[in-house]
Amino acid sequence: MSTSSLTRSLRRARDGVGVAGTGRPPDARPRRVLTPRTLTMLALVLPSIILVLLLNAYPVLYAGVQSIRDGDLISVGDFVGFANYESVLSDPVFWQAARFTLVFTLVGVFGSWAMGMSLALLLRRRIPAGNVFKVLLLLPWVVPVVVSATSWNWLVATPQSPLPILAEALGFGRVLFLANPLLAQITVCVFKVWISFPFMMMMMGAALASVDNNVYEAARVDGASGAQLLRTMTLPLTAKSTYISWILMTIFCVNDFPTVFLLTGGGPVDSTQTLVVQAYRTVFLDFETGPGVAIAFLMTIVLVVISVVLYRRVRKVEIE
Amino acid sequence: MSQRASTAALTRRGFLTAAGGVAAASALAACSGGGSGGGGGGGGADTLKFWNMPWGGTAFNPLDKEITEAYEPADGLPSAVYQEIQWANFTQTFSSAVASNTGPAVSSGGGTQAFLFESQGKIAYADNLLESWKENGLYDDFLPGLIDTMKVEGGYAAVPYNLDMRVMWYNTTLLEQAGVEPPTDWPSYMAAAEALKAIDVYAFGVGAGSGSFTGSHIMTSFMINNGGGLFNADHEPDCVTDRNIEAMEFVLEMVAKGYVDPGSVTYTSDNVQTQWGDRRFGMGWDGAGLASNVGGDVAAELVVNSPLTGPHGDQGALHFPNNIMMYTNTPSQEGSEAFLTYYYQNMARLWTERTGIGLPPLKSIAETPEFQADPNAVKIIEEWQPISKTWAAPGSDALFLGVTDVDGTPAMSTFTQTVLSGAATAEEALTTLQQALEG
Repeated sequence: MSTSSLTRSLRRARDGVGVAGTGRPPDARPRRVLTPRTLTMLALVLPSIILVLLLNAYPVLYAGVQSIRDGDLISVGDFVGFANYESVLSDPVFWQAARFTLVFTLVGVFGSWAMGMSLALLLRRRIPAGNVFKVLLLLPWVVPVVVSATSWNWLVATPQSPLPILAEALGFGRVLFLANPLLAQITVCVFKVWISFPFMMMMMGAALASVDNNVYEAARVDGASGAQLLRTMTLPLTAKSTYISWILMTIFCVNDFPTVFLLTGGGPVDSTQTLVVQAYRTVFLDFETGPGVAIAFLMTIVLVVISVVLYRRVRKVEIE
Repeated sequence: MSQRASTAALTRRGFLTAAGGVAAASALAACSGGGSGGGGGGGGADTLKFWNMPWGGTAFNPLDKEITEAYEPADGLPSAVYQEIQWANFTQTFSSAVASNTGPAVSSGGGTQAFLFESQGKIAYADNLLESWKENGLYDDFLPGLIDTMKVEGGYAAVPYNLDMRVMWYNTTLLEQAGVEPPTDWPSYMAAAEALKAIDVYAFGVGAGSGSFTGSHIMTSFMINNGGGLFNADHEPDCVTDRNIEAMEFVLEMVAKGYVDPGSVTYTSDNVQTQWGDRRFGMGWDGAGLASNVGGDVAAELVVNSPLTGPHGDQGALHFPNNIMMYTNTPSQEGSEAFLTYYYQNMARLWTERTGIGLPPLKSIAETPEFQADPNAVKIIEEWQPISKTWAAPGSDALFLGVTDVDGTPAMSTFTQTVLSGAATAEEALTTLQQALEG
């Protein structure tokens, strides 16, 4: 079988059709018409919609007002235009935090996805005590982050902690996992991957469970290797779930406050400070709500852009 | 078919009309305002809210509540209701409550909280209260200089409640093992540190990690010990001075010589106590409760050292006169003052029953046999309290709003971590701090 015919077969199999299938998804959607009945239904749900909008829109609008004023935790302050944004964007500490937020998010999303996907594939096979493993692997996600951060602190914080002792025994000398800026960044990122991979494992496990095994068998009959199965079957068939999990994990990582704050507090010397930690410190330790909320708004804009791009990928996958 | 639809449409219209009427009535009712809306702040007409923090161990708040609820107001004055407020997010808790007029009438809180709210016009000055205390003896019972730390331009923002001190501790066993005497000045401190290093023990035990602000307190303590500090007499940041540079160079020398645990930059309070407990810290800086917090066999080996003398003959350290404040939002200002008078006359049990609260502000409590049984606490009151100053040093004694820029702020944390990691010279670190405070 030639490579092109194998690819065609795989695509047909992926589209979930039999021998006579067209491979095209159904595209005929019923047209919506604003009938009196529909209008009545809309009118009935309108109060709920207004309520939800008020509940969600009011805090955002109020935060927007705070970001263009020089207030504090008690008063909203005077109007200062975009001075808070200018001040934040010209602050090197903001850009340092933005850089680390980017690294933290990339490592958190793709590290946890790679680990979660690998474990989901592994646990798809029948292995002894598989369910026990699944429960154990979920623990990092289930355990409150306060507990896991304390545990990690115990593991790495002092020279008498287990990991520094191990590192010294292996000849690496006295390793300061949290005191050295670079090592602290690595430790925080690894911690993030550790607490996040169970979520990815569940998401990808659910996605894999929805794939019909016959599809794989058909591909194997067509001579596909394991790597080809992964590249041309597993990844495309789980693409929708993958993109959704990336969107969610990106939001989780960018907004993740406790992971960083509990382990390092953003130190040493701001090296592990993310934007959400900076926003918190600005508002609640410096009592400067304007710049702090401005940081949060900038984060939101970036998150929305990333989410829209990834969501478009999801829709593209749906169409394909 | 058409008839059914018509009937249904009529029903829907009727329903929508009724719903619209209800919604309009609700909106009108909501917009009418006035009346009794917005109440609840400071307590109802018959009660005033007293919010207190968990200043000690598990025994503190139950006893504190018992004292509060035993208050029997005079006729016409409100009784007091007690509320414990956790330290977690306490700033948000107080700010949102005060802003919405649902806060307490009387409370303790962060050491600089009163000055923040005073600047917002939310604090009822304690001048009349203190004046009345001159007559009943309470005023003269305060330790020297304490009340003055509460005075701002408009009056006394609060009343001193308990003292949080930063003092020098050492481990007697480790110093004996190293063959050195407790230091008395900076050169002997450096010499003792060298001797401790020889037995693989650190001599500058502090923590500057997440939630641990002791490191920044100790940096400031060293500046004050050298006659310096962070603010001038005009309450403006004045960090880059010769005395401050000299003090930070001393700390940097200890860092460079390996007398400071490199992990200190990110040590939490727990990590610091672990290092004391593991006998990795032979000397260090902490609050008055260090020995009891460390616990175990090591606790008996920990002793408070006498204040060090700086190279120019100065003595000094940083302390935090925690306080109780009264708010303008109260059911009765007279009631707030009457309750506080009762509270201060009856709060001695918080110390004599060893609830774990900080050092007492009153001489009468410090003189009790129960308090005198703790030699470390007595030493702190006798030797450290008289030489200690607030964040406002060296410019003034009284606290002011500007100290909120340095009390547990990111700028101070970054400065402290910079020094403890030896990442900059003293002048560079202080200049960066100055710029941050001015910004």
